[in-house]
Amino acid sequence: MSERYALLLKILYPVVALVLVIAGWALAVDAFEIPRYVMPSPMDVANHIADDWPALVKGFGQTFMEFLLGFLFGAIAGFVFAVLMDASRPVRGILYPVLITSQAIPIVAISAALTIWLGFGLAPKLVIVALVVFFPVVVNVLDGLASVDKDILNLVRSMGASRFSIFRHVKLPATYTPLFSALKLSATFSVTGAVIAEWTASTSGGIGAYLLQANSRLNTAGTFAAIVFLALLGLVSFLLVIAAEYWLTPWRSGSKARRWSPSYWKD
Amino acid sequence: MTAAAPPKLALKAVTQRFGETLALSPTDLSVRAGEFVSVVGPSGCGKSTMFNIIAGVLQPSGGSVLIDGRDVTGRAGEVGYMLQKDLLLPWRTVLDNIVLGALLKGKAGPKERAEGVALARRYGLGDFINHYPSALSGGMRQRAALMRTLAMHRDVLLLDEPFGALDSQTRFAMQQWLLSVWERERRTIVFVTHDIDEAVFLSDRVVVMSPRPGRIREVIEVPIPRPRPVSALTSPVFSTIKQRIIDLIYENTPALEPAHV
Repeated sequence: MSERYALLLKILYPVVALVLVIAGWALAVDAFEIPRYVMPSPMDVANHIADDWPALVKGFGQTFMEFLLGFLFGAIAGFVFAVLMDASRPVRGILYPVLITSQAIPIVAISAALTIWLGFGLAPKLVIVALVVFFPVVVNVLDGLASVDKDILNLVRSMGASRFSIFRHVKLPATYTPLFSALKLSATFSVTGAVIAEWTASTSGGIGAYLLQANSRLNTAGTFAAIVFLALLGLVSFLLVIAAEYWLTPWRSGSKARRWSPSYWKD
Repeated sequence: MTAAAPPKLALKAVTQRFGETLALSPTDLSVRAGEFVSVVGPSGCGKSTMFNIIAGVLQPSGGSVLIDGRDVTGRAGEVGYMLQKDLLLPWRTVLDNIVLGALLKGKAGPKERAEGVALARRYGLGDFINHYPSALSGGMRQRAALMRTLAMHRDVLLLDEPFGALDSQTRFAMQQWLLSVWERERRTIVFVTHDIDEAVFLSDRVVVMSPRPGRIREVIEVPIPRPRPVSALTSPVFSTIKQRIIDLIYENTPALEPAHV
């Protein structure tokens, strides 16, 4: 009973927070008689969303696609780089300074160049998003691989494990925890990356492009509608990572294997 | 030692040098099948070196390690071993950790898993088969680690201070548990420890080592009949043996200068 109550509160608190923010916003706009082109009321934004629903949803889908593909691409590339760097000292020695330097360059600066190289399509957006995820993933996965206990490695070697088996059963799972901290951190940043990419070359019709257009027409309700959808996108991306983490690292969220897992022993 | 039955485990002139240092001077030791032998000695006496050589994770500078008369020098995986750290994989259930040896070779089928379950039930972890190691206490984790070693089906088990990190009550319970496991499984155990009481209580023979250079000082028989009751810990035989070991370990230690006391 108390567990259900705790869960209820967990859902209730954010809802209350959201209602308070919207109510405060509505009251402030009314009370200070702020012009609509400076700050629309929540109702204006809601109306705009209702009016322009198809365009916003299409934009959301577009930006979500850029985020998802770029994120997966960046995470996988980062993971592979980390594994290669962990396996070979020379590779690590050469790549590490390159990675650090690449991080020193602002994404916005690369964004312009990428448009020149890759055009106005999906490709430059994916690259930008991927770049945002790439670095944290490399660094964290590398840490995870390096932090595997030497005694465990000796033990599994003495048990006759092959290099591949050691990687699959010991090293790979050891990277999950640091990998997911990197992914959680970069999930919302990737959405920012997708928006920046759309601003540089906006023929794709994503939410970032929508925002830019609305803003240039002083359509503040449209701008805020885009912001609402971007916030939603950020939340969705974060929740996706959390869900993947819950699914892939069951030992961190419970003390027992889940019933449907192949590890679960049933008599 | 008759020619027909070679000792279960034998060290022949096993030597280890690290650069100029002689970590282990030529050492001979033989252990009978089903025997429980402890190794005690101060730090630097070469017991860890000897352990790693028997485990096969360290190639000795000279000499050989034989199991059943077979040369296994420098070959890992010939003996089961266990350390003070339980080294359980946090992302695997207790059962998967127990059958890790099979799992690593892709051979953890229903048969191996059923065997792991039987081990867990027999030795007190039956309710935790599907739990992750994080849900276990220190003593339970060490039990799981020992079951992992047992499930490897090696005749010789090498245990390096397996209970060193446990509190004294748990430790004592674990020693008795280990004896019951050993009596049932009839494996040969080489047990490295700092704790003289532990060594005498558990073993058939105690190997006392001394440092600079690391070597076997003396091998002492423990003629206390088994099963050993707790009262064995306070028996005169026990005290005599313990005193002898203490003398051997501390005889070379210079007394502190009064100025330093």
